[in-house]
Order: sequence, then structure tokens, then C-alpha cells
Amino acid sequence: MALVDLIRPEVVKVPLVSATKPEVIRELVECLRDAGQISDVETVYDALMKRESMGSTGLEQGIAVPHAKTTAVNALTVALGISPKGIEFQAIDGNPSKLFFMLLAPPDQSGPHIEALADIARITKSQAFCRTVIGSTSAGEVVELFGED
Amino acid sequence: MNGPIKKILVYVDGTEGSITAAQYAVVLSRATGADLNALYVVNTRALEDLLKARIFIKAEEEEYKRDLEADADRYLNHVRSLARKKGLAVEAVSVSGAVQVEIKKYVQANEIDLLIIGELSHVRSRRDEFYNEAERAMRSVSCSVLIVKDEDRVWELYDALP
Repeated sequence: MALVDLIRPEVVKVPLVSATKPEVIRELVECLRDAGQISDVETVYDALMKRESMGSTGLEQGIAVPHAKTTAVNALTVALGISPKGIEFQAIDGNPSKLFFMLLAPPDQSGPHIEALADIARITKSQAFCRTVIGSTSAGEVVELFGED
Repeated sequence: MNGPIKKILVYVDGTEGSITAAQYAVVLSRATGADLNALYVVNTRALEDLLKARIFIKAEEEEYKRDLEADADRYLNHVRSLARKKGLAVEAVSVSGAVQVEIKKYVQANEIDLLIIGELSHVRSRRDEFYNEAERAMRSVSCSVLIVKDEDRVWELYDALP
């Protein structure tokens, strides 16, 4: 399934209320739980935090891509969050992160996982598009942007 | 083998659609007498891009590369098995690089007449970023391309082969 098809209103959180890295990761994981995408919040949270402990997934231009392989999902799973104020995420450029793409994949689905991450990498090259997404005020607006741009 | 199709290549990426494509390739190979080839591309270009973008760290890139190489072995063995059950031999090859580039190179180097790929996912976005690798390959290869649909029908065709 294409990445864009996974970005649905129920897995988009706008605005995020968190102020720290652990909080924002938990907020997005709980968004996935509320959307019925996962049930084991702690396993997913631990997998994401373990990956962050190896190196921050905070990129440049206010974008972060927390991701992990976990048996707590049986298909590629995505959550997207926007923090207009920005959250300290130890990003490469030192700036706060505002747009969060969270990606989870089962251990036996590395191919789709990589393809989805590559989609995200290509998207993040378009600064104008990312700025537009960060300026969104609702989940529906975000979904529309990805689908209709 | 006097028909228009002499060499078939099926692109296998591990998706259900690509396995269905492999079954259809077996059916078509039996019907036409064409040689059957299967290709899996370990997408090292994507891994390199993810490392450059700093989404991956080095250890992660290496881990995923090993995962993809294991996937290649698993899925190509499955295609070999599909062909063998119907009395066919298949040239099953794994290469590394950018998917569409490697498919295009294989088609040219092996004089492939027909590329067979699995059903393309429905993409709602007009953004180029969401065109998948098989779709990119379909656009760039020099030979004709067949997109396989209807998993149930293909299974019936495959199953009916003696």
C-alpha cells in the first residue's frame, strides 16, 4: 500500500500538545492506539525510543521521522503529527521539530518499510510542501494536501 | 518458440501482487514457450538515500540491507518453486541498486521481450514521490509491459496447468 493511502485523518494529530521528545512519541503512539492501529502502546513506544537512543531521527527544516521495526504491528503503520510551536528533538540543525512522520513496520516487511521511508525522504526535499503541511490546522487538511497536491 | 514473446522477465519485490505476477509469468511461459526470468532488486539506492537524509544510521542501513538480501533469497526461491511445480526452469537473479535502473539494465542486457509486474497500488496523490518503483520501471523500460490483475483468476490459471 502506498504511503499516501496510510495517511488518514484518524492517524494525523494537529496540533500536537507535547513539549518533549518522549511526550511527542507517546502522543503519536497513543494516536495510533486510538485509531485502532495498535494495542500494545508500551512495546511500540520502547521500540521507537530505543531507535532514538541510537541517534535522533530529527532532520533539518523542522522534520522528524521516528521509526522502528516492531512485532506490535502486522503491516506498515503511519502516524503524522504537527507541532506549530516546535519540539526539541535533537535535530541535525538544532532547530525544533514541527512535522513528525512516525513509521512502524513488522520485522519481516523491510521492503515496504524502506520504500515508505524513501517516499518520506523525497517529500522532505520539498521545503515548500513541508511548510504548507506544517501550516495545516486540521487532520483533514493534511490528508487533502497529501492526496491532492 | 516462434511467437512474439521469447523472453519474459517478472519483477518480484515480495508483495502479493508480484507473486501473482510470477504465477501469471509461469502460465504465459508455458503457453508461449518463452524463457522465464525473475528479478529481485535489493534497493540499495533507497538505503543510501535514507543514510544521506540521515533517516538511517549506518548500522540500520546494514541491518536493512541484510533483511532485503534475505528477502531476495526467500522470494526468488518461491518463484523457482512455482516454476518447478509446472515443469519450468527459471533464471532467478538478485541484483543491488536502484530498482528502475536495474530492471531497465536487465531488460536490455538479456533482450527481454516482455516485463511482467504486479498490480500497481491505487495512488490518490498526484505527487511524483508516490509513484512506486514498479511504476517507475514500467515507464522507463524499452520492452512491452504487462500488469497482472485479478489474483483469483491468475491462481485458477496457474492451478489448472498440468
